[in-house]
Amino acid sequence: MTTHRTIEFTLNGRPVSAQVGNHHNLVEVLQDQGLFGARESCAQGLCGCCTVIVDGKAVSGCLTLAPLIDGADVRTVEEPRGEHGLDAVQQAFIETGAFQCGFCTPGFVLMTRQLLDAHPNPSDDEIRHYLSGNLCRCATYPEVIKAVHLAANKRKTAGKD
Amino acid sequence: MIPFELAEPRSLKGALKLLDTEDPAVRAFGGCTALMLMMKTGVFQPACLVSLRGVEKKHARVARTRGGLTIGALATLSALEQSAAVRKAAPVITRTLRTLSNVRVRNVATLGGHLAHADPHMDLPPVLIALGAELTAVSLAGERRLAVQDLFTGYYETALAKNELISEVHVPAQDGRRSAYVKCTTRTADDWPTLGIAVALKTDGALIEDARVVVSAATEKPLRMAQAEAVLRGATVTDAVLARAGEAAAAEAELIGDARGSAAYKRELLRVYAARAVKQALAGGGH
Repeated sequence: MTTHRTIEFTLNGRPVSAQVGNHHNLVEVLQDQGLFGARESCAQGLCGCCTVIVDGKAVSGCLTLAPLIDGADVRTVEEPRGEHGLDAVQQAFIETGAFQCGFCTPGFVLMTRQLLDAHPNPSDDEIRHYLSGNLCRCATYPEVIKAVHLAANKRKTAGKD
Repeated sequence: MIPFELAEPRSLKGALKLLDTEDPAVRAFGGCTALMLMMKTGVFQPACLVSLRGVEKKHARVARTRGGLTIGALATLSALEQSAAVRKAAPVITRTLRTLSNVRVRNVATLGGHLAHADPHMDLPPVLIALGAELTAVSLAGERRLAVQDLFTGYYETALAKNELISEVHVPAQDGRRSAYVKCTTRTADDWPTLGIAVALKTDGALIEDARVVVSAATEKPLRMAQAEAVLRGATVTDAVLARAGEAAAAEAELIGDARGSAAYKRELLRVYAARAVKQALAGGGH
């Protein structure tokens, strides 16, 4: 056995291959691929800035060992969505101004999509619980909750994109 | 983090073979969330990690058994949270999971890892102890069963041998026991608790026939509060009884302070939260 290996996985729909150390994490792998939407911030899985969707489930990229994504379907905020490259959730975040600096926004967008897939019409309480692991240092939480409701409505009228 | 080898056995037996070594730098993981934090801070520097993610799927199964539950140690916390069997047999587990860390951690962290990690701030150990749960530990030599309450021997310390893994957790039928878990968090709702307290009560009307009271996050391991249980056993619940139970717990617990509260602060919390936990269990319906 060795401490490094080659992994192959699907990144935003396209197959890629990468040389990784067993001790590297998923955020580092994505950075090597030129993707910087997932950011390692707290490095403890608490803040949600490094959210990545692996095989349909949200994970903290900073807590995911690189070799474990061999063969996985990996999706990040860079994945093109919708007609103009933005989906209902991204549109809703823009329209409600649910960010200031934007550092945490990729994580909030990805987690909101997961939330709405599981609960298409979430209550404020469900939103707060589901997004409790995403921190916004600019404290745009009230706008985030508005954005989630707006995104839920947009999805209902336009159909999920 | 420093480079290490990674083994991905396809069977539990294969994993046990790899772990049958005296080398403390060889460790198994389920979801690798807790271990990642220890590796990132340099507390643990592995030579070889053994991933349990590729072993037989049956070790992640959640099943109802005689009114209780048998849970494979590799079941993720999300799987438990969404399990209809868990909600039916022990809804206190479902309620606890809602504020146990966050969705992303619950998606990968496993029940076995949650227990074997033995950080006293974990949420499910006090709940499982209150429910009277047991676990099966396996090694190449065979398997043994022990009470979850006997698993923990200290801070990050368990009764598991180096070459043993938890394979299953068994939650007995609750037969109408009413249970609750309350925790005090000082930062976010899903933060590591400053204090956790689980109770399971066997009641006959307003009379408490039997009580289990378990404190966590403020002691070096989750602990039953024998004096508080004695106050509640055979008592009819009144504010005075609840106050005495809280006093008893606060007096008997050996509390330790941490970044989320001093021992003195936790003692005050325990006095108040013990009564709250009992009230919540009584208000919470059949389980």
